[in-house]
Amino acid sequence: MGKIFDPVFMIHSFPEVLQALPTTLFIAFMSAVIGLVIAFIVSFIRYANIRILSPLAKVYISFIRGTPDLVQIMLVYYGIPLFLKAINAKFGTAFDVNGVPSIAFAIVALAINAGAYMSETMRSSLLAVDAGQLEACYSVNMTRLQALRRVIVPQAIGIAIPPLSNSLISLIKETSLVFTISIIDIMAQAKIVGSRSFRFFEIYVVVSIIYWVICAIVAFALSKVEVYARRYERKVDK
Amino acid sequence: MIQLENITKSFKKTQVLKNINLTINQGEVVTLIGPSGAGKTTLLRLLNWLEVPDSGRITVGDAHIDASKYSKHDVRRLRGQSSMVFQHYNLFKNKTVLENVTESLVIVSKLNHKEAEEKAVALLKKVGMGDKLHDYPANLSGGQQQRVGIARALAVDPKVMLFDEPTSALDPEWVGEILHLIKQIAAQGMTMILVSHEMRFVRSVASRIIFLENGELVEDSNPKELFENGKSVRTQAFLQKLTYEEE
Ligand SMILES: Nc1ncnc2c1ncn2[C@@H]1O[C@H](COP(=O)(O)OP(=O)(O)OP(=O)(O)O)[C@@H](O)[C@H]1O
Ligand SMILES: [Mg+2]
Repeated sequence: MGKIFDPVFMIHSFPEVLQALPTTLFIAFMSAVIGLVIAFIVSFIRYANIRILSPLAKVYISFIRGTPDLVQIMLVYYGIPLFLKAINAKFGTAFDVNGVPSIAFAIVALAINAGAYMSETMRSSLLAVDAGQLEACYSVNMTRLQALRRVIVPQAIGIAIPPLSNSLISLIKETSLVFTISIIDIMAQAKIVGSRSFRFFEIYVVVSIIYWVICAIVAFALSKVEVYARRYERKVDK
Repeated sequence: MIQLENITKSFKKTQVLKNINLTINQGEVVTLIGPSGAGKTTLLRLLNWLEVPDSGRITVGDAHIDASKYSKHDVRRLRGQSSMVFQHYNLFKNKTVLENVTESLVIVSKLNHKEAEEKAVALLKKVGMGDKLHDYPANLSGGQQQRVGIARALAVDPKVMLFDEPTSALDPEWVGEILHLIKQIAAQGMTMILVSHEMRFVRSVASRIIFLENGELVEDSNPKELFENGKSVRTQAFLQKLTYEEE
């Protein structure tokens, strides 16, 4: 004891903190996938301006943007059990309210959150595709659906990737909130190790490095995907 | 071949086309001329249902459509009769030259890949793009893009081809070859409606010239008549201005 900053302890605590990495990665991955599906559906509802659903989608997006992430996690964590109870009472079903693992709540909450932001990205990317592209599709007698699938969506994806990659990185960082619903992710694990040793600073340095590395890897991978998705664009010599 | 009956079209409060009646026969090469904002582009786009008229009826080939009552099926049938060459080419940016032409053949005409490719390559060779099959539009000159645009429009075997100022976005050096290509297609008997201000070209290719102003057909005659005698005061003024600009 007595050291102000203990690098040896810090390095030695990496493995223990990393034990919780699979949980963090699992939550991030699952909520990203579900979030993308939600975003895809919602962006189409808004793009095609489907009646009834489109205004509902607007409310959803506005709500998610206008409330803190932590509050949304709490709403899901306490709300879904109530909802299941209500269904049980009404339909005589027997969902086991206590049997739902916390991690499921975390995934649902983060997916709903990320889905809202990403749907806006996708919608504006669809709108950013030049109107002449759709007209050209129509002029060779493609249907709207064919035009979307073959021409509009592929171009929109190229436009959407940079902002989507920001959303996905935010999502990875937001997983650090799930310790509040008693899930042992790397953040919670850090708290445990930290409170045992009282070397919180060292531990949070460890945690920040882990997040940084994950985010850097994801950002790199997505930048490669972007290059592929925009391969047809003119290269500008710098 | 083509018939427009009582077509009107407004954007917001401005009436862009005022009760247009027009009949075009098979094999005619009709050129639309007129001042900016006259409604030329709008008239052309109606035939492809890229613009929906407020009222009136359109016949192209064996498709009929009535603006007051039409189905998706009617729209597809109408669009199947004609194809459009755009001022700004509008090539599918995410597709190669070859794919731009095969796309409709595979997706709409339901040819298999091999047939589609054979047909597309033949067309692209015809327009002089046989050596750029796998390039993306972004890497082509304007003239090259427009040649692909023409091949794409030819691929659907249209009964009518629509050209909206196909050379006005091009550098002068490319204009001649595109006009030459259009002339070749016209010579093969294709029915065409063409918006163009290239008067020398119009004069040599058009079988009929229609002067449109403020959404109305002001004059409808053949090139000889229009350029040499009997033209209305308004047409005369327009042509004079144009000649002046060309010099
Ligand atoms: N989508 C639109 N929304 C609103 N107004 C439009 C739209 N498209 C065309 N207009 C208006 O309709 C009128 C006719 O336009 P159009 O493009 O048909 O003219 P044009 O004869 O092709 O002119 P130009 O020679 O400049 O191409 C113009 O006043 C134009 O501003
Ligand atoms: Mg125009």
